Amino acid sequence: MKKFRLYFEEHNRGPLTQLWQQFQRQHVAVFGLVIFVFFLLLTIFAPLLSPHDPYLQNSDLLLLQPSWSEQGLVQYPFGTDDLGRDLMSRLMKGATYTFGIALITVIGSLLMGLALGAMAGMSKGLKSSIFNHVLDLALTIPSLLLAIIIVAVLGPGLWNTTWAIMLALLPQFVHGIRNAIQDTLKQDYVAAYRLDGASNWQVLRYAVLPNIWEHITVMATMALSTAILDVAALGFLGLGAQAPTSEWGVMIADALDLIYLAPWAIALPGLLVFAAVLSVNLVGDGLRTAMTKRREN
Amino acid sequence: MMLHYFLRRTFLIAFVFVALTVLAFSLSYLFPGEVLNNVSGLTTIAPEQQQELIQYYALDQSVLMQYLGYVHRILAGEWGLSFSSQQPVLTEIIAVFPATLELAGYALILSFILGIPLGLFAAVKADSFFGKLISGITLVAYSIPIFWWALLLIMLFSLTLGLLPTAGRINVLFDIPTTTGFMLPDIWLSDISYKSEATQDALRHLLLPAIVLATYPTTVMIRFTRDSMLAVLEQSYIKTARAKGLSRAQVLYHHGLRNALLPVIRQIGLQFSTLITLAMITEIIFSWPGIGQWLLDSIYQRNYPAIQGGLLVVSCLVIVVNMLTEILHTLFNPLARKA
Repeated sequence: MKKFRLYFEEHNRGPLTQLWQQFQRQHVAVFGLVIFVFFLLLTIFAPLLSPHDPYLQNSDLLLLQPSWSEQGLVQYPFGTDDLGRDLMSRLMKGATYTFGIALITVIGSLLMGLALGAMAGMSKGLKSSIFNHVLDLALTIPSLLLAIIIVAVLGPGLWNTTWAIMLALLPQFVHGIRNAIQDTLKQDYVAAYRLDGASNWQVLRYAVLPNIWEHITVMATMALSTAILDVAALGFLGLGAQAPTSEWGVMIADALDLIYLAPWAIALPGLLVFAAVLSVNLVGDGLRTAMTKRREN
Repeated sequence: MMLHYFLRRTFLIAFVFVALTVLAFSLSYLFPGEVLNNVSGLTTIAPEQQQELIQYYALDQSVLMQYLGYVHRILAGEWGLSFSSQQPVLTEIIAVFPATLELAGYALILSFILGIPLGLFAAVKADSFFGKLISGITLVAYSIPIFWWALLLIMLFSLTLGLLPTAGRINVLFDIPTTTGFMLPDIWLSDISYKSEATQDALRHLLLPAIVLATYPTTVMIRFTRDSMLAVLEQSYIKTARAKGLSRAQVLYHHGLRNALLPVIRQIGLQFSTLITLAMITEIIFSWPGIGQWLLDSIYQRNYPAIQGGLLVVSCLVIVVNMLTEILHTLFNPLARKA
C-alpha cells in the first residue's frame, strides 16, 4: 500500500517505527511476541481468570485425569493433583510466580546494572580497572552456588532466591552496558556535544542513553529467559518457592512422586516454562535482527 | 608484550583469589550459629576445649589476623570438619569432585564434537532447509529447562522403554576400587576380571546425564560458531581469498574457520559457570554422586563448613578454566595481546 507522493520528499520515520517494521517482517518473532503477551496477561490477570481456587483441596476428586481422557471432567481441563487441587488454576497462578518474579528480577537487575554500568562506563583508569576485577569475581560464582550461599545465610524462600538471581544476572548487564556506553562515547556526535559544553550527566542522558536503549532491551530479553529458567530450577530444587506455592518448578518437584500415575502433572508445568522461555528467546532474537537491519539501512 | 600480558593476568588472578577467600571467610560470620562452630566444623564443643579453640582460630584477635590464619589453614589443606559426618571437608570434596569433572568433561567434549560442525554447516548453508532446521532446533534446545528435559528423557528411555538406568554412576553390583575417582579410568586401571561388563554398564549410566548436560553447551556452541562464521564470511579478506582463486573449501578452512573459532574459545570460558550450575542440577536428578548433589545435601543439612569449602573449590575451578581459555585465546589471536 504505497502512498501517492506528489512531491519528492524524504520520508523519515522514527527509530521505534523503523524497528517495529523490521521486527514485523520476521513472522516467528511476531509469533513469539504473541505468546509473550499471553504470558504477560496471564501473569497479571491469573487470579481473575482461574476457574477454581488454586489452593482449594477437594478430597472427592483426587488425581482426576485430564479432560481428554475417559475419566476426566470438563470442569477440570488438566485434571487435579494428589490433593485434589485443580491443575489448570495452579498452572495459571504459576505464571504469576515464575514469569512475574523473573520479570521483577530482570527489572531490578537492569536498574542496578544501569547505575553501575553508567558509573563504570563514564569513569576511567584505576577506578574502572578495580570495578572490572570485582565483576570478574562475580562472574566466576555459578548462579546456583550463589543461591545456595544466600539460602544458607537468609534461609530458603522465593524472595531470598530472587536476590541470588538478581546478583547472578547483574555482571552481564554491567559488562554489556559499560561496553555499549564506552563504544558510544567514541562517536563524533558525543565529542561535538561535549564541545558544546555538556556535562558528564548531560552526555549520558541526552547523547548516550538514547543510542543504547535498543541494546539494553535485547540484553534484558536474554536475561529474562535465564531468569525464568533460574526461578523454576531453584523452585524445583526446593531452594526457592516452597511447597504449597504453585510455582512451575515446585509443581514439577511435587509431581515427581507421581511420575508413573500422572505424567502429565510433570509434563504440563515444564511445557509452560519451556513455552515462556522460548517466546522470550524468539522476541529477543527478532529484536536483535531487527536492530542490526535498522542500523544497516 | 607477552610478559606484560601475563603479569597483568597474574595480578588479576591474585586479586580474584584474595576477594574469593575474603568472601568465604566472611561466611563463617554470616551463617547462622556460633562462629566457633562454623570455623572449626565441630558440632559440640566442650567448655574446657573452647578456650583452646578460640586461641587456635585466633578469634580473640583482630579480624585481619583471623583472616590471615584462615588463608594459612586453607593453603595447608585444613578446611574444617563437615557438620554432618565430622570428616574433613577437603577429603569429602576430593571424593566427590572427580565425578562432577567427569560428567562436565564428557558433556563438553560431546558439545564440541556436535556443536562446531553443525554450527559451521548452519553458517555455510544458512539459507538451505537444513541450515534453517539447525537454527530452529538450536533455539528450541536453548529454551528447554534442563530438569524438565532430564525428566522427559527418563520417562521415555528408562520408564517406558526400560533401556537405560536412571541413577548413579555404575551398578552397585560392580565393585570398582577407587584410584583416581574418575569412573572409566578407574575401571581400566583396576585388575578385575569383569572389565568390559563394567565399562559397558558405566557407559550406559553415563549416556543420559551426559546428553542432558551437553544440550545447553551444544546449542551455545552452534549459535556462536554460526554467528561468528557468518560475521567472518562477510569480511573483505574472504573476498580477497576467493578472488585469488582459492577453492571454497580452502577459503573456509584456512581463512574462515581459524578466525571464526577464536570467539568460540572465549565463549567456553564465559559459559563455564553456567555449565557447572547445570551439572549440579543434572547430578541431583540422576543421583550422580558429584559436588552438586553434595552441596545440595549440605544446604538441607545446614552443613556450613561444607558450603564454604564447596564455594572455594567450584569458584577456583571456574577461575582456572576462565584463565586457561583466555590465555589460549591470546596465544591464538595476536590482536588480543594489546593492552
